Amino acid sequence: MSEVVIEVGDRPIRDVNEDIQAACKPGAHLRIVDTLSRHNLGIGLPPGANIHFEGSVGYYCGGLNTGSTLTIERNAGWAVGEGMADGHITVDGYAGMSVGAAMIGGTIHVKGDTGPRCGVAMKGGNIVVEGKIGYQSGFMAHSGKIIALGGAGESCADALWEGEVWVCGDVKSLGVDVQVVEPTAEEVAEVDAILEPLGLKDTSRDWRKMVSGQRLWYFESRDASAWLMI
Amino acid sequence: MCGIAGRILKSPGKVGQDLVELMDAQAHRGADSTGFAVYTQPRSSGYVLRGMGFDKSAMDADLSDFENLLKDHQSNLLSEPVITSDANKHYCFRMEIADPDDLAGWVADADTLSHRIEVQSCGRSLEIIKDIGSASQVADKHGVRDMVGSHGLGHARLATESSVLPNASHPFWARPFSDVAIVHNGQITDYYTQRDKLERQGYRFLTENDSELIAVWVSVQIKSGLTMEQALEKSISAIDGVFTFMIADVNSIGFAKDRFAMKPIVLIQQDGGIAAATEEQAVRRVYKQEAEVINHDGPSLSGLWSLDARKAA
Repeated sequence: MSEVVIEVGDRPIRDVNEDIQAACKPGAHLRIVDTLSRHNLGIGLPPGANIHFEGSVGYYCGGLNTGSTLTIERNAGWAVGEGMADGHITVDGYAGMSVGAAMIGGTIHVKGDTGPRCGVAMKGGNIVVEGKIGYQSGFMAHSGKIIALGGAGESCADALWEGEVWVCGDVKSLGVDVQVVEPTAEEVAEVDAILEPLGLKDTSRDWRKMVSGQRLWYFESRDASAWLMI
Repeated sequence: MCGIAGRILKSPGKVGQDLVELMDAQAHRGADSTGFAVYTQPRSSGYVLRGMGFDKSAMDADLSDFENLLKDHQSNLLSEPVITSDANKHYCFRMEIADPDDLAGWVADADTLSHRIEVQSCGRSLEIIKDIGSASQVADKHGVRDMVGSHGLGHARLATESSVLPNASHPFWARPFSDVAIVHNGQITDYYTQRDKLERQGYRFLTENDSELIAVWVSVQIKSGLTMEQALEKSISAIDGVFTFMIADVNSIGFAKDRFAMKPIVLIQQDGGIAAATEEQAVRRVYKQEAEVINHDGPSLSGLWSLDARKAA
């Protein structure tokens, strides 16, 4: 199938997104040019299409994706892939705050660093970051994995639920109610299986797996030490 | 969810045009009002005043009283005031005045008229233009695109903690410190505690806006011996709330960001110029080619961009 080229420039985003939706057939290849870091590009995409953004994008790119494959050649603004259900998003550069916020499935792969709260409140899927994840990443993640190969910022994995944060490298500080646990060989193999198709598998890594300490899950108001954690 | 912007040009030029672009791109962040702080060619003596009168029908009497007050302080108008008005009751003015005998003393006296006529900026270089409406509406009304200068700030306001009034728009001048202006995105939660402390030192506030407070707070730190950089760093632990602000004087633009990393700031530094804003798509209005975008996304950050460093670039 031939490639469809859609220009962004200063056109209304509603018009651009209508063009993208119309071209998004299964197996279709779309190239989005002159992106100018504009917001809300490629929202609510159907399954099966391949969309390449030739440049940086603004906020919410690929939000509510239901199964398309997106590549972003430069940086992404806030909340890339927010609420996505399925599909794959690759950001070649840096991604801003709240990568994959509240996503429920699919994979987001960021080759650079991310801003704060990467994977905030995510409920499934995986986020793989080759660089460092920012302040308070994993905040209240209910499910899914955040895998950072280049370290983490302050308050990492704060107030996790059943999500997991896996970090190689320096962690500036842990958030509240976090347990760092030794992963089993099976768990490491699961993570490697996520990394392998991205060409990132390396069995020599020294992982820090973070899970919830579970003391804030069902907050016990009479537990004075729990109060002190927050 | 306000939008803020800062711009430093490599050499003085149409900085107003760039500020309008930066704010037009962020118009969705604040539909209530828009404002600009433009640093024009500094004069060796005399001040430019920008401000607002609240009742057009009393304009002549109010301006006359204002002029008499200048004379009481051995100052006077250097040229006729330029008045901008539309169907609204308020009007905006620009005046050039000779140096008063004591700037802070004159500002204190002028503030006694502030229920009728309000000075919103005073500086050798600084001119603050602010009004109700979007970036393009305010720019069209006040000719902001044609303003020439070295650097400046912009603000789109979504009112949260104080009223939608033309004089509650940003930027704010750090009264009575000449040439200091601020734009701010956030909320200060210990506002009344901080304000009380400053009021006991004799500082006055014309609005209930927390941004006005930060501008004065930073200026007071500098007056007591800190550098701008030190004052900005101190603000992160001394002030409570969620905030990112940019503050400017004749020589620089600085920024500070709270401990919670809630309010973004991104910038592009290129060819000796700087464009900073809340959103990347705004700075891309000024630098259309793909460029290295610096995301100050982390918590507890501050920094200073000086015009001297720009000249050296």
